[in-house]
Amino acid sequence: MSAMAFPVRALLTCLAVAVLAAGQAVAESWPGREWARQPVVPSAALAAFEAYAFPPRDEVERRGVRSDAVVAIRDGVLVYERYAAPTTEATPHLLWSISKSLLACLLGSAYGEGRFRLDDPAARYYPPLAAHPELRLRHLLNWTSGLAWEEDYEYAPLTSSVLAMLYTRGRKDMAGFAAQHAAGVAPGTRFSYSSGDSILLAATLKGMLVAGQYADYPWRALFEPLGITSAVWERDAAGTFVGASYAYMNARDLARVGLLMLRDGRWGERRLLPADWVAFNRAPVPGYRPRPEGLVPGGHWWLNLPLEGAPQPWPDVPADAFAALGHWGQALYVLPAERLVIVRFADDRDPSYRHNDFLRLARAAFVSGEAP
Amino acid sequence: MRRRHTLLLGSAVLLAVAVVWPNRAHLAAFPDIIGAYSAKEYCSCRYVSGNPADYCQAYIEQYIPIDRLRDEPASRKVTAFGLGRTHSAAWLGPREGCRLLAEGEAPPAS
Repeated sequence: MSAMAFPVRALLTCLAVAVLAAGQAVAESWPGREWARQPVVPSAALAAFEAYAFPPRDEVERRGVRSDAVVAIRDGVLVYERYAAPTTEATPHLLWSISKSLLACLLGSAYGEGRFRLDDPAARYYPPLAAHPELRLRHLLNWTSGLAWEEDYEYAPLTSSVLAMLYTRGRKDMAGFAAQHAAGVAPGTRFSYSSGDSILLAATLKGMLVAGQYADYPWRALFEPLGITSAVWERDAAGTFVGASYAYMNARDLARVGLLMLRDGRWGERRLLPADWVAFNRAPVPGYRPRPEGLVPGGHWWLNLPLEGAPQPWPDVPADAFAALGHWGQALYVLPAERLVIVRFADDRDPSYRHNDFLRLARAAFVSGEAP
Repeated sequence: MRRRHTLLLGSAVLLAVAVVWPNRAHLAAFPDIIGAYSAKEYCSCRYVSGNPADYCQAYIEQYIPIDRLRDEPASRKVTAFGLGRTHSAAWLGPREGCRLLAEGEAPPAS
């Protein structure tokens, strides 16, 4: 090392430290054990939002919007929360199909650990799928397995594969039940939202891990690093996580998952999900043809993308927004353009709740300088 | 008259063959759905989410009512009786939550 080089290096080191410190100072707020709080100032916009999200609750006919919880996080800081009894800030609320996107985060962690590639055959990790050698993990993640699965349960309870999986013929071994479904079309050729695809993913995760790691994996890979303490994830009698339906946590904890996704898989100094994994979550299913209702499916997440020839699904929400959605109104919304994460738990028993209306009013209430 | 009866009977048989036979597996499983749903979702509502019993009773109510729900708080086991079937779910642990039990399966001692 020459005498000249030392001061230069010291200078550079000082500079680097200063830049890092400045970065920290302006920067990102992350929750510790609790969220930092800065409650939004009451306004007409906030009143309009609350009138929509928390109208008088109909407990008799169970009609209309029935929110159980709303938590809003802006720039990593909790700006709003409200609960409807008996749900509280501590209640581990049933997530229903938000569980699917949570499962995708687990797989993202396994992906980051190099445990699989998207084009690997699913049967490599879950042998009961041997009859479907062309079925790849990316197909399960895109809900394009092609398996002849019947998702509907509200209008076709008799033939619903979901009800059979959760409550009757499939309940002992849900993945085994899903794997028995015949191929309807070739994998990768047709999008068909399926809890069967999700439960199969939950089973492939078991095959990616060393024996004995599976039961703790959601906690080790995701919940503990994020500081999530309220999570429960039910399993079937075969020990497979009911990755399609049965995860629970409180609203504040679910918002942590939203912040992880908002920040492309980073959590503080740690990268929990590879950036290309989150990009896959947020890329539309290849060949998906827009449908009149609903968001665009991605890699086990839902996207507000305006696809060619179709309007943006939620017109009053930025196009880069994405979400995890569940039965009876459960939602985790991520709005990167506004650095906003919103959790909504609910018990909506009719279709009167509209995501677009809720988010339009939420943006007006929580994003400063925006007209209602 | 006789001819009309024959026609009616014929239609009924045809309907049974066309609808019931291909769906026989689904039909046989259907009465179990409501009981299993009630036992499992009540168990989780009560012992995972920690909601009050009366709230969970209302929460699991469906168009087709069950006859009776037995909640055993000591073992955190919930049994639903309805449509001639019986289904039980039990709470297994703080991370595992609730699960439907097989017929005759006892919840693991905690």
